[in-house]
Amino acid sequence: MDELLEQFLIEGKELTQQASDDLMALEREPNSAARIDSAFRAIHTLKGSAALFEFAPMTEALHAAEDLIGALRAKRLRADRPIVTTLLDCVVSTEAWIEHVERVERLPDDAAMRGLSLRRALLAHLALEDRPSATPPSDLDWVKSLLAREQHAVSLARSAQRMMNAIRYVPNADCFFQGDDPFAIMRLVPELLAVRVCEREPWATERFDPYQCNIVIEALSAAPLDELQRVFRFVSDQITVVDADLHGGAPAENSLTETPTGSGSRSLRVDTSKIDALADVAGELIVAKNALAHLVARTKDLDPALARAMAANHAEFDRLVGTMRRAVTRLRTVPLAGTFRRFPRLVRDIADKLGKDVAFVIEGQEVEADKTIVDGLYEPLLHVIRNALDHGIETAEKRQAVGKPPTGRVTLRARREIERIVVTVSDDGGGIDTVALRKAAETQGVAAEAASDAQHDTATAALVFAPGVSTSESVTDISGRGVGMDVVRTAIELLGGRVDLSSEAGAGTTIVMSLPQSVLVTSVMTVRVGGELYGIPLDVVAETVRVALDRIKPIRSGEAFVLRDRTIPLVRLSSALSAPIRERTGADIKALVVSSVNQRVALEVDAFVERTDVLMRPMTGLLSGMPGILGTAVLGDGHVLLILDVAEMIA
Amino acid sequence: MSVTLEHEIAYLIGDCRVEDAEPLLAYLQSGTERAVDLTAAGHLHTAVVQLLIAFKPHVIGPAPDAFVQRWLVPLMSAA
Repeated sequence: MDELLEQFLIEGKELTQQASDDLMALEREPNSAARIDSAFRAIHTLKGSAALFEFAPMTEALHAAEDLIGALRAKRLRADRPIVTTLLDCVVSTEAWIEHVERVERLPDDAAMRGLSLRRALLAHLALEDRPSATPPSDLDWVKSLLAREQHAVSLARSAQRMMNAIRYVPNADCFFQGDDPFAIMRLVPELLAVRVCEREPWATERFDPYQCNIVIEALSAAPLDELQRVFRFVSDQITVVDADLHGGAPAENSLTETPTGSGSRSLRVDTSKIDALADVAGELIVAKNALAHLVARTKDLDPALARAMAANHAEFDRLVGTMRRAVTRLRTVPLAGTFRRFPRLVRDIADKLGKDVAFVIEGQEVEADKTIVDGLYEPLLHVIRNALDHGIETAEKRQAVGKPPTGRVTLRARREIERIVVTVSDDGGGIDTVALRKAAETQGVAAEAASDAQHDTATAALVFAPGVSTSESVTDISGRGVGMDVVRTAIELLGGRVDLSSEAGAGTTIVMSLPQSVLVTSVMTVRVGGELYGIPLDVVAETVRVALDRIKPIRSGEAFVLRDRTIPLVRLSSALSAPIRERTGADIKALVVSSVNQRVALEVDAFVERTDVLMRPMTGLLSGMPGILGTAVLGDGHVLLILDVAEMIA
Repeated sequence: MSVTLEHEIAYLIGDCRVEDAEPLLAYLQSGTERAVDLTAAGHLHTAVVQLLIAFKPHVIGPAPDAFVQRWLVPLMSAA
C-alpha cells in the first residue's frame, strides 16, 4: 500500500475519533468554543488529507461539514441537536469509508450517493442560518481579527497614544437602490487608520450582480464616537462602532494571517530555497501557459471547434496560473521592517563616532515586498545612510552657524505605489557641493565627458553615481573612499529598481529608490517598432493613445501634443532605438503614455501587440551594461523580447 | 459615462457612478488579464470598487484622488 495512503488511514482514524468526541461533548455543552475549535481542526485536516487521494465524496462531505462548523465557530449558528446529529452522521460515514479503504483501497460503490446526501443535509442547516448582514455579530470577534490584521496601524496608534474606534459597516444588499454609496460615506470618516473589506457571499464572477452590495467594510479610526455617529447617521442601522482599545485586547502574535473562518493560526516554517524552487516552477508555468496560447492561436485555422475548446481550457489554465502566481508571490512577501529595524542602532553608532547629533526617523516599514528585495535593500541603504550621516549632516556648530537646529535629521521612508515600492532617504544636511564634485570628477578623470556636460546642479549631483568619484578630502572609516554610490546604483538595478538623487545646496539631499514589489513576473505591453517586438513594463504604462497627426505640434527639435490639458512630449521609439523610421502614413499615430519619476512622455510605436506576462531575466555578462534595456524574456513562440528601461530611455 | 475601453484597457474617468458598474462588469467578464486605468478617476462608487475587488484586474495608477489611492487601491490587490 502507498505510504501516503497508509499515513492517511492512521491519521484519519484519529481525527474521526477526535471529531466525534468533540461533537458528543458539544451536545452536552453547545457553547464550548474549545470543542468547536477542536472539531473544526479535525474536520479541516481530514478534508485536506482526503483531497490528496481521489476520495471526492469524502472531501465534499467534509467540506460541507467544515463550512457548517465554521458557522458555529463564527456564532452564526448554534450547535443544537439536529446540527450535531448531522455532523456526527458525516463523521461516522467517513469513519466507515476509511475502514473500507483500508480493506480494498477504494471507497464503497455507494459512496458518491451517500456523500451527496450528507452534503445536502449539512448545507441545509447553513441555508437556514441568519444572514450575517441581518444581524451584526453581537460578539466582538471581528474586532479582534481586524486588530490582528492591522497590527501595524494599531501599534502606530498605540505608540502615539491615540484612541481607536473599530467600525463595522454592513451595507444592506440593496443599498445601491436606496442611493447609498458606502465608500462615499467612508470617505467622510475622519482620521482613518485602516480600511478592510470582506465579501458577504463568495464572489460569483460568472453570475455577478453588479447592483447587489456584497461587501462588509471594517475600519479603524482615531476619531471620537460622536464624530463617527455623525458621519454614519443615515445608515446607523448598518453600523457597529466599538472602542477598539477596550474590546480588542492585544492582538495575538500568530494571528496575522488568520481569517475568521480559516484554519486556525498554525504556521509553518519553510526553508526559503524551497519557496524559491516553487517560485521558479510558477514562473516557468507562466511561460508555458503563454506558449500554449500561441498554439491555440495556430489551431484556429486547422480546426475552429477544437480551437474554441482549447481556448476555453486555456482561459481556465490562465486563471489558475494567475492564482498560483499570486499565492507564491504572497509566500515571499515580507514587510520592510526586517531590514529597516537594523538601522536605528547603526545610525546611533555612526553618529556617535562622527560626533554628530542626529535624529533618525523611519516611516512605512510595514510596506511589504518580495524577500529578495527586502534583503537586497540592506547594503545600498547602509551606504546611503552612512553618506547622509558623514557627508550630509553637518556638525552641530556648523548647523547653528547657518541657522539650522543643531540636531540633524535623516529620514528613511517607504511607501507603496501600484506594484512598486519607493524607498527614500533624505537628510537636512548641507546638500552636495556641486562645484567640488565636478572638480573631483575632472581631476580624478572619471566621467570627464559627463562632468563637462553637467550644466545643472542636478545633473552634476548625478555624478555621485559615477564609479570612483569622491569629494571627501580624507578617507574616513565611515565613507569617502569613492566607492559607494555607484555600488548603490548597481545593487538597486540588480533588484530591478532605479535610483534618483536630488540635492539642494544648504538644504539637504534626497535619494529615491524605486523598486518592484515582486521579482517573479513582469506584465509587459508588447509593441512593434521597425519590424521588431519590444516589451514595455506595464507598471510604467499610464495609457495607450491614438493621436491625430494634426494634434502633434513641433517644439524645438522635438514634438508634443496635448492630452487632457497636459502637454506630453512625444518621442519616436524607433529613433530612440536607432531602428528604421517609418513614414507616418495614417491619420493618426499610436503612442504609449509612460510615467517615470515625475514626468509623462508618450512613446510612438508602429503597433500595439498585446499585454502579456513574462519571466524577465536581467541582462548578463557583456550585455549587462547596455543602456535602455531592462532585460529579456522568452515569448511563447520562442522569440526573445527585449524589455525596455523607459526611465533610462527618456532621461 | 465614465468607463471607456481602448486597447484592452478600461479607463475610469472622473467620478464613477453606480451605472458605470454594468459596462465595467461586461469588460471584466470578457476575458482574463484585464487592466483598469485609474489615472484619471475621481471618486469610485462602491459598486465599481466591489467589481475591482472581486475580479482583481491589473490596476494602473496612481489614482489622483487621495482617498481612492490610499484606501481603496490596496483593497483591489489584497488577496
